[in-house]
Amino acid sequence: METNYGFAEKFRDQVLRCSSCGFCRAVCPVFGITKRPALNARGKMLVLKEIMDGNIPLSDDLIDTLFQCTTCASCAKNCPSGVNVPEIIKSVRKDMVQAGTCHPAFVGMNQVLQASPNIYGEEGPPDFGRERNRKAENVFFVGCVGSYREEEATEETLTLLDRLQVDYTLIDEACCSGVLEDLGYAIPENHVQTNVDRILATGCKTVITGCPYCFRTFNERPQYQSLKDQGVEVVHISQFLSGFDFGVKTDQKVTYHDPCDLGRHAGIYEEPRKTIQQITPNFVELPNNRVNALCCGAGGGVRGAYPAHSIAMARRRLEEVEAVGADVLLTECNSCVHNLSNAKLRAQKFKIYTTTQFINRLLEEA
Amino acid sequence: MDKDFKDRIEQIVGPENFSDSLIDLIAYAKDASEYRHRPDAAVWPVTREQVSALLKLANQEKSPIVPRGAGTSLAGLAVPQRGGLVMDMGRMDKILEINIEDRLVVVQPGVVYADLDRKLSPEGFFFPPDPASGSVCTLGGNVATNAGGIKGAKYGTTKDYVLALEVVLADGTVMRTGSRCMKTSSGYDMTKLFVGSEGTLGIITEITLKINPKPPLLSTAMAMFDDLEDAGRAVSQIMHSGILPCALEIVDQQTLKAINQNTTLNLPEVEAILVAETDGYTREETEYQINKVVEIFQRNRASMVRRADDRQEAEALWTARKTAYGVMARINNNLFVEDLAVPMSKVPEMLRAISDLAKKYDLVIPTVGHAGDGNLHPVVSFDGTQPDQVHRVEEASAELFEKVIELGGTLTGEHGIGMAKARFMGMEHDLKSMEYMRGIKRLFDPNNILNPGKMDLEAA
Repeated sequence: METNYGFAEKFRDQVLRCSSCGFCRAVCPVFGITKRPALNARGKMLVLKEIMDGNIPLSDDLIDTLFQCTTCASCAKNCPSGVNVPEIIKSVRKDMVQAGTCHPAFVGMNQVLQASPNIYGEEGPPDFGRERNRKAENVFFVGCVGSYREEEATEETLTLLDRLQVDYTLIDEACCSGVLEDLGYAIPENHVQTNVDRILATGCKTVITGCPYCFRTFNERPQYQSLKDQGVEVVHISQFLSGFDFGVKTDQKVTYHDPCDLGRHAGIYEEPRKTIQQITPNFVELPNNRVNALCCGAGGGVRGAYPAHSIAMARRRLEEVEAVGADVLLTECNSCVHNLSNAKLRAQKFKIYTTTQFINRLLEEA
Repeated sequence: MDKDFKDRIEQIVGPENFSDSLIDLIAYAKDASEYRHRPDAAVWPVTREQVSALLKLANQEKSPIVPRGAGTSLAGLAVPQRGGLVMDMGRMDKILEINIEDRLVVVQPGVVYADLDRKLSPEGFFFPPDPASGSVCTLGGNVATNAGGIKGAKYGTTKDYVLALEVVLADGTVMRTGSRCMKTSSGYDMTKLFVGSEGTLGIITEITLKINPKPPLLSTAMAMFDDLEDAGRAVSQIMHSGILPCALEIVDQQTLKAINQNTTLNLPEVEAILVAETDGYTREETEYQINKVVEIFQRNRASMVRRADDRQEAEALWTARKTAYGVMARINNNLFVEDLAVPMSKVPEMLRAISDLAKKYDLVIPTVGHAGDGNLHPVVSFDGTQPDQVHRVEEASAELFEKVIELGGTLTGEHGIGMAKARFMGMEHDLKSMEYMRGIKRLFDPNNILNPGKMDLEAA
């Protein structure tokens, strides 16, 4: 039986190093809502050991565990053996796709991105009534969720940038496509080329992303290396705005949800808090925050492939918001806003915004 | 397991609580030990009635049934060695009652230790055993293993807190043991019989636990010893000084070397480090106790003694102890966290013996432990893909437990027997004792369906 898979070649030692202690049970969001050990990191590593030992082949039987991971990295951050589970999962998904087995939702997502520049396969990007592709100091890169699902949040973020007189332009974006690599597929070269060409054509010094995931893709994937080579810095909007004096305050009780891609993956915990604390004296942390933040359940393709579980994960996070009695939940990721808003119960009276959207509202009311 | 049997199981718990999917069979084949064997199917019962119906059915079919908590056993307690049905109790996870007035809680077996702790903490109470796997392990698993932790010397282990149980027996009958009273001398202690029974006598569906008021303040001190015997003497003197530290931990030289080789902590490679913590309700109380401990450290030629003035400093003093597991888990592919206990005065001799064994079998065996109750954890790190190494580990392990018994010790302080130590049972327990244990097993489980193959309960 085939045992010589790419994941094994790259991560064999790490998979073996998982000592099956089970400590990932405490933090895995998928396990948290299913109580099914096959779905947490230990369960996944046991499956991979069986594959490496030649006991089982890569097959559809494994989809429910290998494709059901939000790649939130909670397990990796808490693993006594230092096993980098999200990277291993991404790697084995490549082998799965190559072996012709993948979750149908992701097969579909790949097909959509081959044909369309955005993950929803929707017609042309909204222009938010703003000029695009012009020369500017900064490019504001919206991302798919901000363009097609959380347009209101994006509109208000752009209004805030206008108020602050930031010199920025939008571009005709293609999906950064990082997610495809996470699901076992390749990033389409044409999308990379579109983004790189259009960003460089503006002559910008900085790309400001509204989405933590686009931020990571541009900074971490070698496909986008040419941005760095051309001296373009990519920052997330929370970094860009940290330290701005917005001249507005609220006494509402505000709490903050760390997006996995911004927090655990990129280590950006303090910038958003600095901004929030500047606008409210009434900031309260969620019980699980920073490196221990609970995942909203949207990542790693789980929202598309396992919607009921995705919503259940979001509900767990919202229970924490209720427990601290916050009026407003802020976060820095449109995808988190989208999933958390979808999961919010009518009885839960708090509001959910991106930080920039909230600040813009305060300025409007002022 | 035939299809009809599986169908009947599924009818009892519903399709959402039954699985024979490959991924579940693989996940349930293993716990935190090195043993591996797949079950035929898995269930997640959610009521006592379901547990009862499942046992009745399994008993009729004479099919093995293996209850499981979080699967953190280091000795193979949760591995379905003979296949059959794994019964994951994780979805029976309700805290049924917190009764401060009567100083007790009633819980379902799947409640996670840390979740109970989070609920009790605001009340100023706790369930003290504090196992190292507390963030994930379940209370049902704690009871079935008689789990302990670093607070054992002062607060005892799980058995000291179990007041009453609801147990489903092999034929599906439900039995209640014990009472809600703080004391009872009424009849045989059926409750304790099930504590540490490793799922071999029945399946626990409800637990009544005594809880303790939790002293809010701690004082911490750490001492380094160039000579292991000095550290051993210090432990003995502390434990008969009248002071009961809530933790008294030892880290040996091998551990310090392993930590230094794999981190930048650069700890002094002395023969032993002791960390002590005292608890109480006033600073004066905790300091009085820790002062006594420090005096004893000094009197026994500690080369360095440090005190913590705040929690941050205390954390620093715990560094060596708390880094040990992570370091050991990273340096090789496989890990045996051994567990033994010896009379407290024998701790230095036991540590010397472990160090000699490591040399003899060319192994790395750092040891940490709960010195205050003589419970040591030699951690054998090895590469399971190398048959020669595996063989040497097995040989060393057998010799280790011969030494433990020679010193008047016990095979396990808090991890249980399971598969790992079944072969050593006869070394610790005499023939008569083994005969009665096997008799009890047959009485409760005549068809040997409950977690078969554990604790050496089957041999003639």
